[in-house]
Amino acid sequence: MRPAFLTVLRKELRDALRDRRTALMVLVASVLSGPLTLVLLAQFVSGLEEKAASTKVRMVGSANAPSLVNFLQRNDVEIEQAPADYEKRVKEGRLDAVIVIPDDFDARFVGGEEPRVEIVYDDSRTESGPAIRQAERLLRAFNRETGMLRLVARGVSPDLADPVKVEHVNTATPRQKGAFLLFVIPMFALLSPLLGGMAVAIDSTAGERERGSLEPLLANPVPTRHIVAGKWLAAWTLATAVAAFTLAGFAVASTFYAQRKLSAMMAFGLPEWIEFLVVVIPFAAMTSALQMLICTYGRSYREAQTYVSYLATVVSFVPIVVIFAGLKDAAWQLAIPVLGQQVVLSRMVRGDALGMADWLLPSTIALCIAAFCIAAVVRLLGQERIVFGRT
Amino acid sequence: MIEARGLGKSFNAVDAVRDVSFVAPDGRITGLLGPNGAGKTTTLRMVSTLVRPTRGSAFVDGLDVTREPLAVRARLGVLSDARGLYARLTARENIAYYAALRAMSPAAIESGIARLADLLDMKALLDRRVDGFSQGERMKVAIARALVHDPRNVLLDEPTNGLDVMTTRSLREVIRRLREAGKCVVFSSHVMQEVSHLCDEIVIVAHGAVVAHGPAEALLAQSGRTDLEDAFVHLAGEATAP
Repeated sequence: MRPAFLTVLRKELRDALRDRRTALMVLVASVLSGPLTLVLLAQFVSGLEEKAASTKVRMVGSANAPSLVNFLQRNDVEIEQAPADYEKRVKEGRLDAVIVIPDDFDARFVGGEEPRVEIVYDDSRTESGPAIRQAERLLRAFNRETGMLRLVARGVSPDLADPVKVEHVNTATPRQKGAFLLFVIPMFALLSPLLGGMAVAIDSTAGERERGSLEPLLANPVPTRHIVAGKWLAAWTLATAVAAFTLAGFAVASTFYAQRKLSAMMAFGLPEWIEFLVVVIPFAAMTSALQMLICTYGRSYREAQTYVSYLATVVSFVPIVVIFAGLKDAAWQLAIPVLGQQVVLSRMVRGDALGMADWLLPSTIALCIAAFCIAAVVRLLGQERIVFGRT
Repeated sequence: MIEARGLGKSFNAVDAVRDVSFVAPDGRITGLLGPNGAGKTTTLRMVSTLVRPTRGSAFVDGLDVTREPLAVRARLGVLSDARGLYARLTARENIAYYAALRAMSPAAIESGIARLADLLDMKALLDRRVDGFSQGERMKVAIARALVHDPRNVLLDEPTNGLDVMTTRSLREVIRRLREAGKCVVFSSHVMQEVSHLCDEIVIVAHGAVVAHGPAEALLAQSGRTDLEDAFVHLAGEATAP
């Protein structure tokens, strides 16, 4: 004899999978958009690198500054003449940065009269950043060289102008540099269970109330906890499945970059996929239980949908807080639902070692919250105002 | 057998049901007759264990509804006021879901569905999704769902509401067959004709209390009228709102 909760689980899964429209929405929104985001981001990053790697400047009036042109050519910099309407083009984003040399440059330069050079750019466009910095860097280098030569010409040691030598030592591993990029994977890992469990959570609570099927369902000789458990397991199963698909999409997408410079940054393969699921599955238990609890208060599908979107907003807010508040890792964060998962998943992405507390604490808390929510739903379904309070 | 003893229910100091007592024996059709808002639905909900009585109690085959709700539910087939179906499931799946929740074996579920499809003339509906069903077709599925486990006691809350003449007639036939099979049938209605056509016993409920109880002839005698409708108006009108 099959326990009642399995009967409920089977029915809810069958019912949910027949809802093609929702299934398609989940497929597109979650399973495809995740990797798509990653591909776009990766393209963006590699685009930045390419722009920075190719040393090319656009100039107006280069004929006025033979000394500067000579310097650039000696440094293998390609000089391109900017079109006359360069200002318009910069505004439109078709040019990143243009060096403008005035007519009197050479005369003033030779006479030591501080000639002016303009860099024209639009710094509201982040993708122009590298080109702007490059133009700046080249002009500064030219300044330095000229200055040195003038000091030497006057018999002064050039070291006097450089009292402190600065050298760069960057400790970030390539993988950590990619962490910014991989930040999106923990975010999707935390949002996809919400998307996956939503339809069942709404349909099996507020949906039952709205269509008047809750009262006859509860008239069956089955303890309410069995009915609630079956519904919850259905929501949890779908939440987990959608999360697993989404993350698998990321794993597949990251293999496209295996041959590139980005491969070191984007290590998200099968081992990481499994590690992620170990954290995400208990998390999905919590989110589906929370969704069911708040949806039980909804008298209609639409009302419940509104409540669920509030929950999604709260969850998606956490990664944003982490980004902008610049939180440093601390033990207490593990104890906060969502934040704890976010911290642990980020560490996995960075390739940091995880301790026992990282593995156990967030998941244990998530499962406790799930149990509490399920118990609350069982209580609510024993209340006459919920069972009979229809629209 | 279903027995109500001094049932009462208050919602926030409003008495929905004040004092309802009746006995519905096996092999008889008992009708709860009363105007809208008389407390019929709340009474049936208390008998089906979904609403807890404030006062009094009810017994199904001698089992107290408040003490042994699961055992009571197992002995009941209920067509409640709310009779929503799962639109994405077929008629057969809707019925089989409840049968499985009642721990019936797959073979018993299949034969139960076949029996009811025959009785309710709904074979052609079984493997279609409930989505596009008419009111009458939905009602047939809901009735089949309530009766699939062949319960000894049947509660029907306003079963003919919104049904056309043909469906109403076939529903009456189903109810008569239940009586022939020795079941205890309780059904509520606010329609005089229906109750007088069908019921062996009539319980008239007004303002949350039973005002008269007995076969149609007895009620006529009690009220001193010759027409049952007059008798109903007279008896229901006697009870003044509390």
